[in-house]
Amino acid sequence: MSDSRQPLLKVRDLKVTFGKGRHEVSAVAGVSFDIYPGETLGLVGESGCGKSTTGKALMRIIEPSSGSIELEGSSLIGRKGKALRNFRTHMQMIFQDPISSLNPRRRVKDIVAEPLDCWKTVSGNERDVLVSDLLSKVGIDPKVYGNRYARQFSGGQCQRISIARSLAMRPKLLICDEMVSALDVSVQAQILNLLEDLKSEYGLTLLFIAHDLAVVKNVSDRVAVMYLGKICEIGPSDALYEAPAHPYTKFLLGAALEADPDSPMHNQVLEGEPPSPLNPPSGCRFRTRCPNATDKCASEEPQPQELAEGHFVSCHYPLTIQKK
Amino acid sequence: MSDAVHELLVVKDLSTTFTTMGGPLPAVSDVSFTLARNETIGIVGESGSGKTVLSRTIMGLQPRTNVTVTGSVLLNGNEMVGATESFKRALWGTEVAMVFQDPMTSLNPVMRVGKQIDESLRVRLGMSKQDAKTRAIELLELVGIPSPAQRYMAYPGQLSGGMRQRVVIAIALAGSPKLLMADEPTTGLDVTIQAQILNLLDDLKDRLKMSVVLVTHDLGVVATRTSRIVVMYAGRIVEIGSTRDVFSRHRMPYTRALLDSSPKVSNASHTRLVAIPGRPPNLLQLSAGCSFAPRCSFATDKCHKERPELQAADEPGHAFACWNPLPTTMEQQS
Ligand SMILES: Nc1ncnc2c1ncn2[C@@H]1O[C@H](COP(=O)(O)OP(=O)(O)OP(=O)(O)O)[C@@H](O)[C@H]1O
Ligand SMILES: Nc1ncnc2c1ncn2[C@@H]1O[C@H](COP(=O)(O)OP(=O)(O)OP(=O)(O)O)[C@@H](O)[C@H]1O
Ligand code: SF4
Ligand SMILES: [Mg+2]
Ligand SMILES: [Mg+2]
Repeated sequence: MSDSRQPLLKVRDLKVTFGKGRHEVSAVAGVSFDIYPGETLGLVGESGCGKSTTGKALMRIIEPSSGSIELEGSSLIGRKGKALRNFRTHMQMIFQDPISSLNPRRRVKDIVAEPLDCWKTVSGNERDVLVSDLLSKVGIDPKVYGNRYARQFSGGQCQRISIARSLAMRPKLLICDEMVSALDVSVQAQILNLLEDLKSEYGLTLLFIAHDLAVVKNVSDRVAVMYLGKICEIGPSDALYEAPAHPYTKFLLGAALEADPDSPMHNQVLEGEPPSPLNPPSGCRFRTRCPNATDKCASEEPQPQELAEGHFVSCHYPLTIQKK
Repeated sequence: MSDAVHELLVVKDLSTTFTTMGGPLPAVSDVSFTLARNETIGIVGESGSGKTVLSRTIMGLQPRTNVTVTGSVLLNGNEMVGATESFKRALWGTEVAMVFQDPMTSLNPVMRVGKQIDESLRVRLGMSKQDAKTRAIELLELVGIPSPAQRYMAYPGQLSGGMRQRVVIAIALAGSPKLLMADEPTTGLDVTIQAQILNLLDDLKDRLKMSVVLVTHDLGVVATRTSRIVVMYAGRIVEIGSTRDVFSRHRMPYTRALLDSSPKVSNASHTRLVAIPGRPPNLLQLSAGCSFAPRCSFATDKCHKERPELQAADEPGHAFACWNPLPTTMEQQS
């Protein structure tokens, strides 16, 4: 099934380290995953687990220390200068803070045209038509708002403008890092719906990074769960949320609050806090907080095992049974 | 008044208006509700709906100038509106204490956390240095901080966000307040840490027999932890009732819209959300009608012209402000 398709993006053993010696932090400690054309892969995990660093390493905004990244079969690692920039047009990233990621002193239509102007792909009238079209697509009337400055817009509107800008180069892959986290629910719903619409219209593939488990569930086909720089579980979202196989995923889902007074109160709360990435535990990185941990968990790092089609877990004692 | 005897907090016709360059800004308008002893009430609403201004007004923490407060806040029988600074100061800490969203803003970054707790104890309760230290360590333990004696010496920057929020809660509890105002106490924290903090607040409320006002934009936070809920929109209460009534028998279209636009973990992937078009109104340019009318799919002419007052629903304590309320369950069946 999943392996019969060619992945759009193939990531293998990606590592990112910050600092040196005693201060060395392995923020991303060897992650591997594929993203298939047209799908949305959700990436969840708690603060500091390495989600943003993974996204930035894919864009090579941060230089990976090792590992491989392939987009449609060609390697992104080792590309420099023009070759790298060329590649980057195929991938765009949208960040959490919509207001500070837009230049407040520029007009909206110029912000959206930034990548076009930079690459000089189109100019003059053609450029203006394209920009107007993009703005209309994201629900901003170009005639009314095109000439206004970004600082005059609300968070939701800024995020619409960021989306329009990211689509200007017709990217294949869009990396959204906490793009709705700062928005009110009513506006968040508008942006999520817009993203779904544009995704099908533009044939986009998405890496959707967020800490909100409900948001991720609503948009993703598959979900990867990160803990302390590693992916501990990855699988189809419905299956993963229904029957998490990694103890950490189970705790994480258990802590998510539903807007429903009848939702069960989760008494099983994960105790403590994640250990410092400066000094990660040996073996399984979750073992210091895992109620099922044994000596084996401390001495041997669990490798990903496939429980069901496309559902992988890195745990010596998965909560659901392995496929035969 | 008999209310004051049974209820710890009685808020009546409370309005807070700021004087701004653009004119008067009504951040909170005509808010009334009561809170019983040992009860938790939730205040929910989107950004700018007036939750923080309301909480601060109840505490008597508004700025000295450019603000007009009318109405009444009776806190354990003490009128907070118009009270002098020294009168309020005597109540802060012992009658009411507040936990803010960002623990960094309420902690002094260059002072050891233990000292910050000591200070509240010595100033508010006049404890000796030695007693204060002993009590501070007890409080750190009470809020679930591991190795409290060591953490007593830590600076805020050396603690995680979750630990800092626990410290803030410890400071709030120092004077054994009867009312804890918690304004977005878990916003920005990870879900597992959020669960820990909410459980802690629940547990403390019962152990210390406190009442809690839990302010949040997240309906998930209040769903299972409050007995009643206030829904705010553009500075006004648009619906109030028992948690169950607000979630399951809401009559105000905004309450419904807020619930519908929240993504749910139980949704299948690619579930389309019911978004609310537009965004909340500019408080400087409120219309004479219902503030939600421009975004409401049920709005009629009347809604744009005349403001609906809160009216009682069938259930006791349940009220909503809407000219075209959603049908009751009974009406839906017939
Ligand atoms: N430029 C940097 N220099 C040093 N350490 C860094 C740097 N950027 C990130 N880190 C560290 O790397 C780890 C992963 O950070 P990252 O921002 O990727 O986490 P995240 O999962 O995106 O968290 P959040 O949910 O808070 O956004 C953290 O321990 C962080 O402190
Ligand atoms: N000191 C002030 N002067 C003028 N206007 C103010 C002041 N403080 C708050 N406001 C305004 O009052 C309104 C209500 O703000 P408030 O902070 O109470 O909202 P909130 O519901 O707490 O929102 P959030 O969820 O973003 O915290 C906003 O429009 C805000 O801009
Ligand atoms: S390997 Fe051990 S510690 Fe890690 S998750 Fe599985 S049981 Fe827990
Ligand atoms: Mg991040
Ligand atoms: Mg607030």
